[in-house]
Amino acid sequence: MGNTRKLVLIGLLVSLGLILHFVEAMLPISMLVPGAKLGLANIVNLIALVLIGFRGGLLIFLTRVFLGSLFAGTFLSINFYLSLSGGLTAYLFMSAAYYFIKDKFSLIGISVIGAVFHNLGQLLTAYYIIANPGIFYYLPYLTLIAIPTGIGVGLITYFTTRHLSVFNGGNRDG
Amino acid sequence: MKNLWSYLTVYDKILISLLLLLSITGIFLPFVNPFRTRIAEGSEKVIVIQKGNEEEMRIALETTYGTDPLYIEIEGPIGTSIIEAYNGKVRMKEAPPADLEKTCVKTGWIEDVGPMIICIPNQISVWIEAEEAGLDVVSW
Repeated sequence: MGNTRKLVLIGLLVSLGLILHFVEAMLPISMLVPGAKLGLANIVNLIALVLIGFRGGLLIFLTRVFLGSLFAGTFLSINFYLSLSGGLTAYLFMSAAYYFIKDKFSLIGISVIGAVFHNLGQLLTAYYIIANPGIFYYLPYLTLIAIPTGIGVGLITYFTTRHLSVFNGGNRDG
Repeated sequence: MKNLWSYLTVYDKILISLLLLLSITGIFLPFVNPFRTRIAEGSEKVIVIQKGNEEEMRIALETTYGTDPLYIEIEGPIGTSIIEAYNGKVRMKEAPPADLEKTCVKTGWIEDVGPMIICIPNQISVWIEAEEAGLDVVSW
């Protein structure tokens, strides 16, 4: 992939991630279980992982979290650490699954792994802050919701990356 | 449009089934007999309010019955949270404006041992505990 093409792609994915992050904040999913989310921004992480690779994806994720928190005015607040810890845990485990056991799991399985580890990472951070083991009461509810949301995110990523690779191949420099 | 199942590998299916099983077990475990939090005879339910990792106050649930709800204001790191206790239930009525997601407010009312209201940004947690009644009413 050419440098300019990569730069444009990274920029597009960061802005897409930011939009998805804010759209997600408007959806009242956490009415079901406190703290539950669709994980739409994870679509971008997974697409980046597939199209650009580990380092590019990590860069996009970190840029998105930093910019997102600056825009929302939550930089270095607890919300920021929660996003960072959840997203980072999810991203690391998704990358590990993608690189080491790729032939076993499809993008859907990898996305489900990401959704579950997002919850785990976030709850552990929350536990560190609130120091109350009662917080884990919600873990099984969150992992239950992570299954359909993870499958959804995985399907979206699967179709998007498939479409994009067709697009790239057509240009013969992808 | 293909069937969803056709996109999944065998390992995906194993992963998803395992997760489903673990989640459902985790949800129902607190209700199964040997693991159920026993509420001993003569014990009373209390609302526990914690800030950070320090307990702020305990209020007997019985005292919340009446005509007027009880409001408790707690000062946290990002502002004031208002807790409402009324007729044996408790909820987070208001979270500070700096808490954008207001997860604790959306949790709604709780009235039993188990669930917990957690305001992570303001480091406040509220839950209900069964506590043995004072020594003067113990009898056997």
